[in-house]
Amino acid sequence: MKKNDNSGWIFVVPAAVVLGIVGLVPLLTIINYSFFEIFTLESRFWVGLEWYGNLISSGRFWASFGRSTLFSVLILVVQIPLGVAIALCMPQGKFWVGIALALVALPLLVPWNMIPALWLSLLNPETGILGQVMSKFGWTPDWKLSITKTWLVVVIMDVWHWTSLVVILCYSALTTVPQPYYQAAAIDGATPWQVFRHIQFPKLQSVLLMALLLRFMDSFMIYVEAFSINAGGPYNATMFLAVDLGEEIKAFNYGPSAARSVLYFVIILSVAWMFTKAQAWLDREPSE
Amino acid sequence: MTKYLGVFKAFGLLSFILFVLLPLVQMTMVSFVATLPHPDVARGSVTFRNYVGIFTDPNLRSAFVNSVAYVIINICITIPIAIPAAYAFSRISFLGDKHLFLAFIAFRITPPVVLTLPIFQLFSILGIVNSVFGIALAHTLFNLPIAIWILQGFIANIPKEMDETAFLDGYSRPQFIWKFLLPQISSGIAVTAFFCFMFSWVEVVFARILTTTNGKPISMAINALFGFQTDIGLVMAVTVTSMIPGAALLFAMRNHLSKGFKIGKV
Repeated sequence: MKKNDNSGWIFVVPAAVVLGIVGLVPLLTIINYSFFEIFTLESRFWVGLEWYGNLISSGRFWASFGRSTLFSVLILVVQIPLGVAIALCMPQGKFWVGIALALVALPLLVPWNMIPALWLSLLNPETGILGQVMSKFGWTPDWKLSITKTWLVVVIMDVWHWTSLVVILCYSALTTVPQPYYQAAAIDGATPWQVFRHIQFPKLQSVLLMALLLRFMDSFMIYVEAFSINAGGPYNATMFLAVDLGEEIKAFNYGPSAARSVLYFVIILSVAWMFTKAQAWLDREPSE
Repeated sequence: MTKYLGVFKAFGLLSFILFVLLPLVQMTMVSFVATLPHPDVARGSVTFRNYVGIFTDPNLRSAFVNSVAYVIINICITIPIAIPAAYAFSRISFLGDKHLFLAFIAFRITPPVVLTLPIFQLFSILGIVNSVFGIALAHTLFNLPIAIWILQGFIANIPKEMDETAFLDGYSRPQFIWKFLLPQISSGIAVTAFFCFMFSWVEVVFARILTTTNGKPISMAINALFGFQTDIGLVMAVTVTSMIPGAALLFAMRNHLSKGFKIGKV
């Protein structure tokens, strides 16, 4: 059991101070801005909840909200099972695991603004490996005009970029399974599915929850990658929440963009809260 | 059925690695091609020109220096602050610990774009815009929570008896952390530093708004290469080069990667 001791606060104060400066102070600033009409930062007028009202009643906001939600769901449905599956496929020997993990993690090292450029280059019908193959089969290169094809590209790109993180997280959880468990399962003649369900999955739960949280939030607020692949198009079909916000900031609409930011933070906070509830629920379960 | 499982697994893993490598192969191939006509090389021919271009362009050179600088500063801020916090979250129960951890995680998952405007204003007041220090500080927003999370997983793996023996021997908590805990979690610190490096190196939103004139990192230097006539070969060469330090670290750390992220119970 953990010791009850409020002097523990002393140890977290430095972290709290730094996050207070780079996180809390900016957050309070935008909460303040969200109630004002701001022409320049010196001249501003109190508008109360007007921006919030406009947002809640705007079809555009809910459309982006819906798109972001759909995108996140797609990403989680593909990435989480794929990440778990690849983690389960990791070889036995330590040497090959190291090589495989290092190779799998490579996409995490690409600067985010270059990820769309890489995929655009790959899909280029004249110079891209994939584009050349596709045009041989007569598949249309003008995927940018099609909503489903653009979505397909963005989803595949995100799967390429982030599944590795899920793999690393899941694999590290799998290494905590004691070897005797597997031996016992082999003696009992357990099927691979039973081994996964009763031995591996319980160890994966907590890490999977964290992977779910990180992947949900990062895909829900996808910005850099989504915008440069097709500039929010076609027909605004890739205008996600953060892309919308980015456009608003670029247009210097301080008040509305602040209200939007606050609304996003409320969403974030409620998701984080659900996450801790789920974590507490997992902790209460007997883990073995 | 079980007999073929090994083959099936190897096939699955290999196809995934192939999928991961495909865009990277494309990138490397293009980086060796002259994509714009130059006086000495024809368009489309294989050349080292792009790589030479990196070293002769002062903007690109300084971008590499900036990137390395802010990542190192970020790690130097993050790790020393994260270690005591991770220790407290993992060992001590104190008033509001769960809520504080929730707040930290909330900051990790806050998209940078939400905070760009106020952070820019705040940092202008503090006078750290257009400097590597500004980016380093801004990046603690997501690196600090992740660092605390990884480290507390490592600390949780260390038997509690170690703490108690040290306290019985008359060591205080800070002394215990310094003398006994740090050597025990050294590989954890390395893994944490690697992840801080990785998340910070590739970030672009803060890097963009905080460097309008000076202190541009690699990602922004690459951005600046896009224009009316983009030399995509050079762009790819810069990207390949930008991945080399990370890839080297990744390879060095490959056997420790999976040791982070142990089940984190707070």
